Amino acid sequence: MPSQIVSLIVNGEQREFIAAPGATLLASLRESLGLTAAKRGCAQGACGTCTVLVDGRPEASCLVAVETVAGRSIRTLEGVAAGGELDEVQSAFVDCFATQCGFCTAGMIMVAEALLDANPEPSEEDVIEAISGNVCRCTGYRPIVIAVLEAARRRREQVVSR
Amino acid sequence: MVICAVHVPESADAAVDCLAGGGWIMGGGTVVMPLVNSGAAPVTELVSLRRAGLDGVQVRDGVATIGAAATFTAVGEQPELAFLRPALRTIASPTIRNQATVGGNLFVAQPYGDLAVCLLALDATCEIAGPDGRRAAPVADVLASGVAAGEVVVAVRVVLPQPGTWYYHKAMRRRLNSAAIVTVASVTSADGGMVDSTRIALGGVASRPVRAVSAERLLRGRPLTHEVLTEAGEAARGDIDPFDDAYASAWYRARVLPVHLRRAFLP
Repeated sequence: MPSQIVSLIVNGEQREFIAAPGATLLASLRESLGLTAAKRGCAQGACGTCTVLVDGRPEASCLVAVETVAGRSIRTLEGVAAGGELDEVQSAFVDCFATQCGFCTAGMIMVAEALLDANPEPSEEDVIEAISGNVCRCTGYRPIVIAVLEAARRRREQVVSR
Repeated sequence: MVICAVHVPESADAAVDCLAGGGWIMGGGTVVMPLVNSGAAPVTELVSLRRAGLDGVQVRDGVATIGAAATFTAVGEQPELAFLRPALRTIASPTIRNQATVGGNLFVAQPYGDLAVCLLALDATCEIAGPDGRRAAPVADVLASGVAAGEVVVAVRVVLPQPGTWYYHKAMRRRLNSAAIVTVASVTSADGGMVDSTRIALGGVASRPVRAVSAERLLRGRPLTHEVLTEAGEAARGDIDPFDDAYASAWYRARVLPVHLRRAFLP
């Protein structure tokens, strides 16, 4: 089977590209669409740094053959900062020193986005479970958990002040 | 090998047709894609079930019919299957649970496959599609010998257990996202304090999920006390054939089995 044209909705925009058989969603985002926030870590689904949202739910994009999600809605870290302004999760990561080397950050933020969309008031336990598939090899888990809880607080406050 | 084609059939019958050309069935990709990514997949064609219409979860008259491509997340979201949520939470991460499928879990190597351990305890039935039509088989048979070449598990049927009869416990190295040292799942009912029927399935202690038939035999007609359960757990050592891996040694798994079998019933 030759390469084929695959169409995805990426961060709200329809994108088309040519994909070789078996190309992963991760490789397509990075190499065909130039969206390099999601990283290739283990390529086994164990590290979480390739996490993107597929129809709003986090998935390890290295485990997704891109043909199988044709037409679906993909959200990456590039689509998080509306109008170039950091959102609550991103600004909380900055303010809480939740990034060290930064390699896990894109995946961490995407699972946090999905968590807060589904559960605006997560417990610490909920946050720990949500990021349990994401490895931070700087071992900076504590500040990451604090940042996600802080982001939840900021988002709730914003909703109230609106 | 290099992948030359990924088929994305839109029905179960189309999946069977695609499979006739060889290749592997892929559910969520959590087991197949790591092999593809490392070049270790021994096939050149994949048949994805993602769009085959097999991702539904329905419950009618006390029987759940779970499509083979239903994700763990979808199973957990079905209110009538809420009894499985504690078990699902012990399997991988929420992210991987958005991808991993019920059908795929039947074919993963131990110490993975905790949902298959649950399905064995529930005495689930697999619906299988093949070139010669449909057939049904006990999940125990599928776990023991797989399906024939060209066949696809399309759904799993589970009779919902009576309230208060479901037990599950998994020993792992971390509280979340870790493979089984020992997994215990059971449907056990008692009458007047005495066990009248029991099915116990174990994970992490053999090359595939196994029934603890010796423990089941010992429990029937007796109460679920600390002593009886310890005795049953020791008897269950006769039902296992454990292995060494990075999580635990075979020796350790056999050593702690009675404790964890007891904890499934008396936490």
